[in-house]
Amino acid sequence: MTEMTTEAITEAPGKRVWLSGLGTVLIYAFVLGVLGLLGWGLMKVNSGQRESGMAPDFTLTSFDGESVTLSGLRGQVVIINFWASWCPPCREEAPYLESTWRKYQDQGVFFIGVDYADTEKEALAYIDEFGITYFNGPDVGTRIAQDYRMDGVPETYFVAKNGELRGTKIGPLFPPELDQRIEELLAETYAGE
Amino acid sequence: MLADIGLFALIVAFLLAVYATIASAWGGWKNQQAYVESARNATLLVVPLLTISVGVIVYALYSLDFSLAYVEDVSSRSMSPFLRLTALWGGQAGSILFWAWLMSGFVAAVLLRKWERDRDLMPYFIAVAMLTTAFFIGISVFIINPFARLWHIPGATELTRAIFQPAGAMAYIPQDGQGLNPLLRHFGMIGHPPTTYLGFTGFVIPFAFAISALATGRSRSDEWIRTSRRWTLVAWIFLSIGLVLGGRWAYDVLGWGGFWGWDPVENAMLLPWLTGTAFLHSMMITEKRGMLKGWSVMLIILTYSLVLFGTFITRTGVISSVHAFSKTALGPVFFVFIGLTFLGSLALLLKQRDTLKTKHEIESFMSREAAFLLQNLLFLAITFAVFFGTVFPLISELVTGTKITVGPPYFQKVTGPLFAVLLLLMGIAPLIAWRKQAARSLGRAMLIPFVASLGVAGIWGYSHRVHPASFFALWLVSFVVLSIFFEFWKGVRARMNAQSERPVVALGHLIGRNHRRYGGYIIHLGVVMIGLGFIGDAYFQQESQRALTIGESMSIGDYSLRFDNLETFPGSDGREVLEASTSLFKNGEFVRTLQPRRDFFVVQQQPVTVPAVHSTPATDVYVLLVGWEEIGLQSSTFKIYLNPLISWTWTGGIVLILGTFIAVWPQATGKRRVSYSLKPGKFRPQPSAGD
Repeated sequence: MTEMTTEAITEAPGKRVWLSGLGTVLIYAFVLGVLGLLGWGLMKVNSGQRESGMAPDFTLTSFDGESVTLSGLRGQVVIINFWASWCPPCREEAPYLESTWRKYQDQGVFFIGVDYADTEKEALAYIDEFGITYFNGPDVGTRIAQDYRMDGVPETYFVAKNGELRGTKIGPLFPPELDQRIEELLAETYAGE
Repeated sequence: MLADIGLFALIVAFLLAVYATIASAWGGWKNQQAYVESARNATLLVVPLLTISVGVIVYALYSLDFSLAYVEDVSSRSMSPFLRLTALWGGQAGSILFWAWLMSGFVAAVLLRKWERDRDLMPYFIAVAMLTTAFFIGISVFIINPFARLWHIPGATELTRAIFQPAGAMAYIPQDGQGLNPLLRHFGMIGHPPTTYLGFTGFVIPFAFAISALATGRSRSDEWIRTSRRWTLVAWIFLSIGLVLGGRWAYDVLGWGGFWGWDPVENAMLLPWLTGTAFLHSMMITEKRGMLKGWSVMLIILTYSLVLFGTFITRTGVISSVHAFSKTALGPVFFVFIGLTFLGSLALLLKQRDTLKTKHEIESFMSREAAFLLQNLLFLAITFAVFFGTVFPLISELVTGTKITVGPPYFQKVTGPLFAVLLLLMGIAPLIAWRKQAARSLGRAMLIPFVASLGVAGIWGYSHRVHPASFFALWLVSFVVLSIFFEFWKGVRARMNAQSERPVVALGHLIGRNHRRYGGYIIHLGVVMIGLGFIGDAYFQQESQRALTIGESMSIGDYSLRFDNLETFPGSDGREVLEASTSLFKNGEFVRTLQPRRDFFVVQQQPVTVPAVHSTPATDVYVLLVGWEEIGLQSSTFKIYLNPLISWTWTGGIVLILGTFIAVWPQATGKRRVSYSLKPGKFRPQPSAGD
């Protein structure tokens, strides 16, 4: 850098040196900014799904206009399933999810279907097609998906009665996996109960 | 056994590539020719070794050797032998190996040429090019090895992938594979990856020359620019073909009626194409007038950086997130590599920038140089706009916490006007002389194409009064095409007068004598044709959707479509086909039958909507089967797009390739020059004649 600066001085007054110095700083700042952005994006992609700790709280409004808040469901086992009408593997698990919901709905289990990046018309047709009766709503702005660092659909998150995450299933669920997970979560007991 | 040979060849190739990098850098630094020679030999050996690796993988895909995890991923018994071969680039592991192979081939080809005056560029050229090649071979060896096998460890629920047998594991060989993603089973997608990879990897050549010139302080001379030019054109034309094939694939397979969706993956290819095109032009001024040297060097570094950027975002899924190839060690390793490349070349460029100063300055704003510079600035502006739109989801997520994707409207609004000015410049710039151009003579030169284009656009626009901007867009296209034709006509007329040649002969000689210039014009014609497709898409597309029972019709524009029949049958490659028969009528007269389909791939459980297209130069009728009820109910929903002018895009792609072939054709022999100097008095090149 030093030889360049001296040559620039012989050529033009100090202002020019200052400007070219500023230009250099700006170029480096831009390149480092782009790299920082990519690095940050990469960290997010590579960090994977949330698997443990308290499940991030959210409020979801269903297609019928009702609302549910996760923290308001303490004491129940909550199954959060991310899906989309455009997702073929989701169709594979849909009947199993619905039948499991019907089996456990009176035993302190709550199902939340989070519709990811979808259009309402197609989503409602999907719900209708599989006769889905559990709570379902669109993830507006994909905020819930981001909080859970969801990576694709379908993905299912298992929430214990105390609100803690007890693992994730990537890809469709098949019998008897969901029954087993629910039974395990129902069997959990906590001090003071 | 065969797989072991492939793996061994891959590992040896990696070691040789690393050796070539170090030995050539050392030889260049210490000025020891023997090390450079040895590095050159090592580089030349990498190609046959990687060819063995690629050959083994291809054979495994063909012969369905499911003991390899990669074969299980992308090949299957139901796939035709041809498709099995193309599965080489159907998945991450194979495509990285393929990439490394192509890159090593480019580097070796350059080393086999004659190195004369630019011999002292060779050490660092090898070092830079082989560092990159070694990086990609290294990924193939250490991170996503195509020779990995599937293992079953007792007690584990999922299979393990590893090259060597983990302790206590048993080899697992599946009966059948998952097969290639159905969306990739199309000629566009079969040709698109190889051409794109050739384009991407080819840019390493001018980049390595530029870095080598900077490192040795030889960037002051123009020699390396001349050498790089042809290699850049080769990379550029493959990237162009890749772009066109990708667009054709999207049009034929994705079923949304268009060919360009400004998707991050598409933008990833467009960005280096834009700066690469700017580089090809700035290089001409550097060559002709010794100007804009630093600018040219910056552009090639930028182009190569954008190649790496594009590869990074598509391979790691940083921007287009859903189930990309995430969660391998590839991301962080790649990140470090591009970080070092960006910062290293930037530091070198800034350090050596005083060697890039040139004596000449632009004398007038009415000059070919100024036009080139303006063109370059426009390309950079478009590049920046596209880049910004592409990374915007990341920026928005960082700032507001929500990933906001900017859609096609942003890209169209921002880049549309810039592309329009660029097109205009394409019509005018060839008429402007180097150094200085009198406004009056430029006006005279433009008069005929200008007036004629107004006439054409008036009639053409009047018959398609959809949008006021369409008048302007059609005028622009007419003007550029006419001014290019006019240039050809002037040249042909001059030859006919001077040499008494027949028009066709004169045209042949005209192009033959100055193929860089006229090849360039033909490339411009191709670009205008592609632009015409974009104009049709932006202003004239119509769509309509309706449910029809058998015998019913729906109409759009001059066309109507009658639903005749719906049937289902098993197709090839393991698919269930649901096909509708429809009849297309234009103004009540039968044109042809069209059979839009929906293919359901049973193994992958994936439906693919296959449009039926009736294509004419004026308009495409694009029919999709979007919904159906049980066969017995005889009712289906169709979506029709009228896509005027879109077929020009594909023709334009072919013209572009043709023009590039003419432009890169080796310089004509001296024989024709003799005939030129025989009659110097009569035949005079235009004062504006450049290259």
